[in-house]
Amino acid sequence: MDTGEDLTESSLLVVVLDVGLSRATTLRNDPVLAGQVLEAVIAFSNAHMMMRLKNLLALVACDTETTEWIYPERKADMSDLRQQDGQHELFNELERTVRRKIAQLLKRSAGSNSKGESMLSGALGRALCYVHRMQQEERQLNARVLVVTANGQSVSQYMNFMNVFFTAQKQNVLIDVCCLGPESSLLQQGCDITGGQYFRPPQPQGLLQYLLWVFLPEPLLRNKLALPPRVKVDYRAACFCHRELVDIGFVCSVCLSIVCKFSPICTTCHTLFKNPGTLPIKPKRKKAKMV
Amino acid sequence: MAAEDDGKEYRWETGYEKTWEAIKEDDDGLLDGSVAEIIQKAKRKRMLERKSNARLGMMRHIFVVIDLSECMADQDLKPTRQICTIKLLNAFIEEFFDHNPISQMGIIVMKNKRAEKVSDLTGTAKKHIKALHQIESMPCGGEPSLQNALEMAMRSLKMLPSHASREILIILGSLTTCDPGDINQTINELKEHVIQCSLISLAGEVHICKALAKTTGGQFGVVLDDAHFKDLLLLHVEPPPAAAKLEPALIKMGFPHHVTGAVGQSKDAPMLAICMCHLDVPSECKLSAGGYFCPQCNSKYCELPVECKACGLTLASAPHLARSYHHLFPVAPFAELPFNAGDDNDPCYSCQRSYSASKDKNIYKCGRCLQIFCVDCDIFVHETLHMCPGCASHPSTTSQLK
Repeated sequence: MDTGEDLTESSLLVVVLDVGLSRATTLRNDPVLAGQVLEAVIAFSNAHMMMRLKNLLALVACDTETTEWIYPERKADMSDLRQQDGQHELFNELERTVRRKIAQLLKRSAGSNSKGESMLSGALGRALCYVHRMQQEERQLNARVLVVTANGQSVSQYMNFMNVFFTAQKQNVLIDVCCLGPESSLLQQGCDITGGQYFRPPQPQGLLQYLLWVFLPEPLLRNKLALPPRVKVDYRAACFCHRELVDIGFVCSVCLSIVCKFSPICTTCHTLFKNPGTLPIKPKRKKAKMV
Repeated sequence: MAAEDDGKEYRWETGYEKTWEAIKEDDDGLLDGSVAEIIQKAKRKRMLERKSNARLGMMRHIFVVIDLSECMADQDLKPTRQICTIKLLNAFIEEFFDHNPISQMGIIVMKNKRAEKVSDLTGTAKKHIKALHQIESMPCGGEPSLQNALEMAMRSLKMLPSHASREILIILGSLTTCDPGDINQTINELKEHVIQCSLISLAGEVHICKALAKTTGGQFGVVLDDAHFKDLLLLHVEPPPAAAKLEPALIKMGFPHHVTGAVGQSKDAPMLAICMCHLDVPSECKLSAGGYFCPQCNSKYCELPVECKACGLTLASAPHLARSYHHLFPVAPFAELPFNAGDDNDPCYSCQRSYSASKDKNIYKCGRCLQIFCVDCDIFVHETLHMCPGCASHPSTTSQLK
């Protein structure tokens, strides 16, 4: 059966799981549901590994304080790896490692501040470094990153996120986002830039179904399926002074910050500007004015 | 009688001692590894020397001048100098527009003692790649004329507003030039108009080229082989430190949003319009509703960034500007530490690769977050990612701006 795919190609999926789920109102009120998010992610990871023998998987978790590498572990404890309940050993090991390490992560951050933003950009950076390493080790690899998060807008990490998105675009890595909390236009931009899928499940109880439907197919197969339509992203810039979207703005040539009205001094880099006049036709004339 | 330790020693007067010892063969008798190591060490040295807060010229207008004289058919760079140059320039153009999205580039060729403008100053890469394709099949002939090419580039560059950085990059394969007048006069004019000229010579060092580069503040290099050629070319992808006379200005820019043109997507009825970018090519001209509309004059364009032909407003989108931010806030170089094989080390922080004594002679530590990285991740972080994953993983070190 010729599906047009190369059978020797392997597919790498990196799941970035945001453990700081307290921003999602549905999950905050129902802790059982919050636990089911982890179950859904584990089942989804197993499903990915089942798709092809050579598929690869990695998992990174992040919360408001730190990021943690969950799977694969370097020092794998192979001593008690035996078949249990007829489950494939690989899935067994995956499940146990993920549960153990997420439990460690949650215990460590039990008493700390959960009001800050999740360190999602750091986790994405680590994921991309791993993808870079795998792309050099394996011949044919298509890689994608799935972000499961409830984080809303994150203002302080804008630069880091943009760097991550442009790097992913360069490496041909898709970034898919499954958003459980408030809408995030920054992550929408990322999906648009890299060609990934942005999706917000209407019912968190059915998370596993949505993951399997939308995010499991490989990039090559996606144009043959009817996936949720692409979100229309507003790429207009926001001015630095009011944080409002502008159609026409002024850009400082030194620091590239955007303002909506002319001002004689740039607020970000403190350079002085001359008064706006008509642009001089001959530079010599301007020199005469200065003298 | 020359003193024994004369500062200006020639190479044949034992100015260099035992240069062959710098290059060592690896186990298979190949030199590639040591050449790559030398290039990497030079890269690190350059990175450490770069000052981080120097003002950079972000909006760059650069003319690439390509030599198409007889000596470009020479085969010392495989397959011929001309083909090798074009191939490397393709890579250069892509990298250039990746790092400098709001810049503009033009291409000029020199042949038969005349200069010819192949493509004018534009901000889209596609046009230049097509032009390069044309150049590849052009026959080489005649003598190059440096002065004609410089005059042609200067005519366009001196019209530009003063906040834009003006550059010329010349790739010269010949050791001679055939000029109609005094080239020193042209060099002085270039210096007056603050145009930076850089040269890459494929043949050898020529005094006038070095003088041109030095007077105008550019860089001059001679290639050793094609890998070195690529390295020298890619040096020019980074924005140059702004010349002192470059005036900062607030540039008026438009940020159009994309209209998809599908029925029912926008509130108003979709406007059918012909795009302004393909006006001179009637076959590619499209009458459609989707595209980017200039906020000032409502003319339609297919792609950004572009300069509106009707009202002169520069149109761009926020991600284009964001691509240039990493030049302003580069990642600090990591400290190089020797690797001790005996300790039970944690794997590399970002890629989780275990260190091995053969591959990792040095490991790298970030000064802010104190995490350890392997050599591949060090290169990846500094050249592609522009963000330290360790710093981004902690709330105290995450923001480089504030």
